[in-house]
Amino acid sequence: MSTKAVIPTSASSDSPASYEETYVHTIYESIAHHFSSTRYKPWPVVAAFLASIPAGHIGLDAGCGNGKYLMAPQEREGVYWTIGLDRSVRLLDIAKLAGGRSRECVLADVLDNPWRNGAFDFAISIATIHHLSTRERRKNSIQNLLNCLSPSHGRGLIYVWSVRQDELSKRSIPSPVEKTNSEHRGQDVLVPWVMTNSFASQKLEKMQSRETEDSPAIFNRYYHLFEEGELRDLVIAAAQELDTDEGSPASEEGSSRCIQIRPKKYIEIIRDGWERSNCYVEFRLYQK
Amino acid sequence: MVRLITHNLLSCHVKGCTRNNFPLRFQDVKVELREAEFNAEFLRNFVPRIEWKALVDAGKELGDTSLPEELPEMLGDEFLKKLHHVLLEIHVEEGAMVCPNCGHVYKIMSGIPNMLLTESEI
Repeated sequence: MSTKAVIPTSASSDSPASYEETYVHTIYESIAHHFSSTRYKPWPVVAAFLASIPAGHIGLDAGCGNGKYLMAPQEREGVYWTIGLDRSVRLLDIAKLAGGRSRECVLADVLDNPWRNGAFDFAISIATIHHLSTRERRKNSIQNLLNCLSPSHGRGLIYVWSVRQDELSKRSIPSPVEKTNSEHRGQDVLVPWVMTNSFASQKLEKMQSRETEDSPAIFNRYYHLFEEGELRDLVIAAAQELDTDEGSPASEEGSSRCIQIRPKKYIEIIRDGWERSNCYVEFRLYQK
Repeated sequence: MVRLITHNLLSCHVKGCTRNNFPLRFQDVKVELREAEFNAEFLRNFVPRIEWKALVDAGKELGDTSLPEELPEMLGDEFLKKLHHVLLEIHVEEGAMVCPNCGHVYKIMSGIPNMLLTESEI
């Protein structure tokens, strides 16, 4: 249990990009196969979201990892398509054949936006943006999702680790320090990844590991753990900077009759909750 | 993989390159054809999402001239089969995609396009 305890940290703000290179990207390259072998069950909230995607729709999985969400239940394979984006080539090498089928994957950062604006019907980002080490960068990654989604009907689901871990979780989170500054919500931690021996034979980037003769290799990955309401607020803040206000098509029915030159863009928060140690927000874009 | 379904979505994202940055042009490609499961329901609904001219031109760059210049009004089975092939069965395994505006080269290795930019390009 002691090796599972997370380590409080404060992410270096001098160079968040190189910090993430060391504490996120390099590590995923090293642990790719072992990590992938532990990631096969879809989260219920994500499975339900994907089950609701209509035929002919196309989506983005920003931070697709081993590609488990590029797969669909057997009867829905090929009914809709999900394109995977990840920063780890080794994970993409697994993802491109997830479930024994050819998948579409691109090597990119979630801070990149290599897509036609509004090209996607849906976008998911599951357990990814908690690896970005500043609020600004987490917000930018959400803005990339918003930009690549259709402004008239794009739907999104974002899923991140929470400071609130469920009882079954093997992680123990130190009690948070009281903070009131909105720039510093949640908690920055390093979470150890313990490489089991069967995977330890693969080529490792040993700079990050504290491997000795008889102990397993340990890799400390950076996470920003979100507190309650933080993800929702960040999504809304990200949207507002793109001239997209929070709203709901139902509540505004008939209320606005003024003449508009351009349609106004809105984001509706469909769901905002907590599931098994994670926070999630589901949203929909619309314009009128 | 880079199939044309993905190529039709990608655009250049080098800082400041915001016009004429789509579609990317293929260069020195190695192509493999692999059968994929045909799904008419997907294709019919997906058609309005396609940038048609970009798809037709990209098909030609990869040596497939089967698609009509104009999107037909009636989406019959014969047309959908051709569309299926161009969209989902031509895999670009190696080569590059080049921005028509700034000339940035995005390499494709083992079927995965590298869309990462260096710090100065972001």
